[in-house]
Amino acid sequence: MAFPDRSRISRRSLLKASAAGGLVATTGGISATFGQGAPVNFTSWSAAVDQVRSHVSAFERATGLKVNYENFPWAQYRTSVVTRLVGNAPMDVLWVSDAWLPEFAEAGWLATIDDVPELMKYNADAAQFCTQSMVYKGKQYGLAYYGDHMSFIYNTEILQKAGITTPPTSWEEVVQQSLKIKQSGGPEFPMLMALGIDTWLIEFMSALVFAHGGRFVDASGNAIMADANRGVVEAVSWVREAIHTHKIVSPGAVETTEINALRAMGAGQHAFAIVPTYRLRALNDPSQAPAAGKLRPALMPRGPRATASATCGWIRFYGMTPGAKANAGRRANAVRFMEFFGGKDTTGSYTLQKLLLTDVGLPFCTTPLSADPEVQAFWTRWAGGGDVIAQQAATAVKKDVIAPWFGEWNETANAAWQSVFLNRATPQAAATAMAAKWKDLKG
Amino acid sequence: MADTWADRLSRKAGYDERSAAILILPVFVVLMVVALYPIIYSFYTSLFDIVLTRPWRRPFVGYGNYARIFQDPMFWVAVQRTTVYTVVTVSITTVFALVVALLLNEAFPGRRLLSALILLPWATPSIVNGLMWKWIYDPGYGLLNGILVQVGLLESYTVWLGNPDRTLFMIANAAIWKQMPLAAILLLVSMKAIPQDLYRAATVDGANVFQRFWHVTLPALKPGLMLVLVYETMISIRHFDLFLIMTQGGPGDASYTLSWQIYVETFRNLKFGIGAALSYLLAIATFVLSYLFIRGFGSKS
Repeated sequence: MAFPDRSRISRRSLLKASAAGGLVATTGGISATFGQGAPVNFTSWSAAVDQVRSHVSAFERATGLKVNYENFPWAQYRTSVVTRLVGNAPMDVLWVSDAWLPEFAEAGWLATIDDVPELMKYNADAAQFCTQSMVYKGKQYGLAYYGDHMSFIYNTEILQKAGITTPPTSWEEVVQQSLKIKQSGGPEFPMLMALGIDTWLIEFMSALVFAHGGRFVDASGNAIMADANRGVVEAVSWVREAIHTHKIVSPGAVETTEINALRAMGAGQHAFAIVPTYRLRALNDPSQAPAAGKLRPALMPRGPRATASATCGWIRFYGMTPGAKANAGRRANAVRFMEFFGGKDTTGSYTLQKLLLTDVGLPFCTTPLSADPEVQAFWTRWAGGGDVIAQQAATAVKKDVIAPWFGEWNETANAAWQSVFLNRATPQAAATAMAAKWKDLKG
Repeated sequence: MADTWADRLSRKAGYDERSAAILILPVFVVLMVVALYPIIYSFYTSLFDIVLTRPWRRPFVGYGNYARIFQDPMFWVAVQRTTVYTVVTVSITTVFALVVALLLNEAFPGRRLLSALILLPWATPSIVNGLMWKWIYDPGYGLLNGILVQVGLLESYTVWLGNPDRTLFMIANAAIWKQMPLAAILLLVSMKAIPQDLYRAATVDGANVFQRFWHVTLPALKPGLMLVLVYETMISIRHFDLFLIMTQGGPGDASYTLSWQIYVETFRNLKFGIGAALSYLLAIATFVLSYLFIRGFGSKS
């Protein structure tokens, strides 16, 4: 019996191998090069997880692409993401806070989207404040996930009992109304402030400073925070006097974090508070807050020097990694993902933006959605109407201390502010320390 | 003398020092990888100016990070806070543990149950302990305020953690509550080992209860006390979890300890070089203190 010679390649085998090789080159090979079939690696913090998951499923169904979705707690998110970026872990799209944009951009961890028309076209529908918050050194780095601002809210029942008919329009009025509330048997500390060391503290303080007509830095990024007449010293002085002179804010405010403040405000223990607007939904939900239905937004009170109400706004956005952008296939998938989540989905609607508002309360950056009847019904139900929120949103200013060294400066600022609130330092001394740190870091 | 069967087996199997070394080698290698390598690498890291947000640069600075730390006023604030916290925690834990151990060393009904119950705080996870005490101290609805107001010791609710004069002591209290039981059990074990003859002899010599404690119990407890002091110092000087949960280093810089500074520099400012250098300084301080305790107790004995 003759056995076939296995050491020799037959013509048939050669043809088979060539065909197979060609197939690999045209399918798998290209896939490997351009990543068309590769999953989209999406990283976020642990917020709105159910809504995001459902939209991920919708994206997978609509596009046939797979998504690797992972999320980390907010408190550890920045560190987790940075270590993954440094370690070249597979990441295509990630949620980014506006506070990290300069350091991420300088480190080369975010890709610009200026040359991605599929995403840039959504700027036409976006609030200007949101778009500006995603721009660093003239280049845009993402598409909005949500945009929000700090709101001044009041408890209608407590004001009514004290015989107050309209909420305060100035910080001086906040003091007067708070004293009146105390005298009429209302809460011991009518004004609630979350001044504990928390990631939200910079937004609280920025809102107060902007409401006093102030800024931390000038247009060139130089520190003006130590100038007595530029808002910072005045805003911090107001808080110190509110705690120690007027006693309308609890001295325990230095250990009150944003989430604890929400519980207290929701329990009806205070008349006034500053909260992120998206919290209004939970605060006015009877299943979550006993004071539901009584908490309404008012325009942020003005400081003596301010000509109009102002507040601090912020944005969280979808960013693309340079690694994803550099590969044509990954880039195409990432762009489709960002458009589906931060722009319109395949139905041509801003589906997720609307869902995030109605389900979680997260305000959107997409101006055309404001006219949507469901959106208007949402604000009517949870905030007594959307007019005040829209007016305040128009006055929102992004944090002017956002810089590559923001995180390190913020550590100094947190301790300096708290020293004033504890009456251990003067507002001027704290502001001077903050300014010195800023100058040192700016170099 | 004739060889035993064990000697013959050892020779046959090559059981000598070299064989023992070979057998220990796998464990030694694992230890090198998981312990020694990180220790050496972290020292190496401390010689570079590594900032994760500036990944394109990694300059060698030698002992520059250490020099910067010593020039940083916040380092000295952290040293002061750490010293106060460690002294308070270790001394009170040790004294309380000694009292509890003396109590449990006596025979009384329910002693076994009490011994088991007293270990419960030690078995509580640190995170749970921190959260529990944070709630107890809360200025708005805390249990501590509630009790003190009800018994008339306070007129109105007061701020505990938010008062910088009290912060470290309130955290120390939470730490003592958790650490004391283990220290008490360690001291109790040492007490059980003291021969009863010594007490009988002292009684015959006319020693009262305090004299018996001073001249018999305390000297015999030296090894146990040394163990407790070294262990508690090592734990307290590096304490981090309670600070993370209860105060985040605040209010102001009232609870800004060395371990908190390491966390801030490493994981918030992402300065791994400085963070590694600070960790090394803390490790050296821990080592020196432990050495001093061991040497101090050893010389007296």
